[in-house]
Amino acid sequence: MIIDVKHTAELSRITLTPEELEKFTPQMETILESVSVLQDVDTNGVQPMKAHVKFEELREDISQESLTQEEVLRNAKHKESGFVKVYGKVFGDIEES
Amino acid sequence: MEYDTIIGLEIHVQTKTKSKMFCTCPTGYFQKEPNSHVCPVCMALPGALPVPNKRAIELCMLMGLATNCTIANEIFFDRKHYFYPDLPKGYQISQYKNPICSNGSVILPNGFEVKIERIHQEEDVAKSTHHTSTSESDYSLIDYNKSGVPLIEIVTKPCIRNAKDAKDFATQIRQIARYLNISDADMEKGQMRCEPNISIQEKGRWEEKDGMILPLGDYKLNPKVEVKNIGSITAVEKAIEFEVARLTKDLEEGKPLIQQTRGWNANKNVTEFQRSKETADDYRYMPEPDIPVIEVSNEDIKRVKSELVELPHEKITRYMDDWGISQYAAEVISASRKDASYFENLQALLSDKLDPKVAAQEAANWLMGTVFALEGDKEIDMNDLSLLIMKFKEGKITKGKAEEMLKDCISNNKDISDELDMFEKSASDNAGNIQDIVKEVLDNNPKAVADYKGGKEATMGFLVGQVMQKTKGASNPNDVKNILIELLK
Repeated sequence: MIIDVKHTAELSRITLTPEELEKFTPQMETILESVSVLQDVDTNGVQPMKAHVKFEELREDISQESLTQEEVLRNAKHKESGFVKVYGKVFGDIEES
Repeated sequence: MEYDTIIGLEIHVQTKTKSKMFCTCPTGYFQKEPNSHVCPVCMALPGALPVPNKRAIELCMLMGLATNCTIANEIFFDRKHYFYPDLPKGYQISQYKNPICSNGSVILPNGFEVKIERIHQEEDVAKSTHHTSTSESDYSLIDYNKSGVPLIEIVTKPCIRNAKDAKDFATQIRQIARYLNISDADMEKGQMRCEPNISIQEKGRWEEKDGMILPLGDYKLNPKVEVKNIGSITAVEKAIEFEVARLTKDLEEGKPLIQQTRGWNANKNVTEFQRSKETADDYRYMPEPDIPVIEVSNEDIKRVKSELVELPHEKITRYMDDWGISQYAAEVISASRKDASYFENLQALLSDKLDPKVAAQEAANWLMGTVFALEGDKEIDMNDLSLLIMKFKEGKITKGKAEEMLKDCISNNKDISDELDMFEKSASDNAGNIQDIVKEVLDNNPKAVADYKGGKEATMGFLVGQVMQKTKGASNPNDVKNILIELLK
């Protein structure tokens, strides 16, 4: 097994049945195997390709109007008194920053 | 068994910008309507792109420069993944291997050096409140206004050995943040958060190497505890003391220690179990592809450095060494930048006429004795105050009368220089009949006169007081004393 699908699912708070686990594990492994050919490429001495920006070109600290509360909540499935409402055991034991 | 206490601190500070870390939403969320400072970037809507805030990064650098850190010439951001509703992207933009500031230090008042491992830039998350319900399943309410507010994290090496030093370090960080206007750093408002990591280890069985605690020989290290929910500076000290006592007791009773996160309960003054940490956090860090590498030149760093000002610990040393101010007074005066600058300006004004050391002493005495007690929202005009202090030094007015006048002027919006003019005029009016008043006092107090003549010189103070009372303080006590001495000869 090159990937622990159960652990990965738990990190994303997704519950998988044993059947699903059995089904998804080989699928995910196939994907990873296909992508792993990239690991064979010799990247010694090759600089990471990243865009650069100069410090003085960064965004100045100016605030602008946000969306309205109504707009913000438009996509929320549940809401209450202007808050987004979340049910259930989503708040597990994962750490708050 | 003897144990060593090993403490490392993580301090989060919200920095004071107008706009959020990666978007232009306003930051001031305190007591605002929920979800009113939110845009597609805060909500992680598809296609939204984070754009770093230059000022926020400057403030992070400034904190690093004030704590003797090295500032990186290339800034990288990384994604820290975890799934939680306070974070709609599914990851927090933070910094992993390359923080903006590294390898700094802070010297505490007792001379101990706290080593800082890193200060990195990240973004705050949404505020969530948890509710239980009888009619439906438990739920949480989420306000995204706080999500994306610039946050810096200061991480010390595990070099702190007692609760008092941890508290002093947090105090100093808060003071620096306020002095440099990096943050208001109000812990009750969550603008500053302290999370200590604590463990106790057997004396002589461990060593510290490159910021890591390592066992010696076959010793097995005790696991560490992280404490959250600390809402004040005093609670930093109390929570650590509580934990050290708890860990020591458990060890001595042979109970197994586990790595865990505990929460401080300020009502009960205890820490409470939150969760165990059996596995290492799995944040799956990766470079943030949406933000380019930011190139910082030495000129950029120099420009930020020009915002540094003399910090409290430097002021304390200078006040003590140059002016002979007591350590206590120096600490009180330098605690806020506003008070320190008032003190320094007043000292400079008084130095026109007084010796600089005397000027500093007088300024310190008046600030600590009177001004801090009187000063509300209104600042006492410094020229007026120095005028008053000079009149006092010249013996033209008693300290009591001067303080009374100051108080009267502040509460009744009167002009100090006008009041002083009036006072001096009535004093000189009184001067003519002061001889009469002195004679009257002498006639009325034959016993005191006899005592004085019999050698009890302390009686002089009483007689002066009597005269001052009759003139309602509108005379110069030195003059009164001279007249008395003359008449009692």
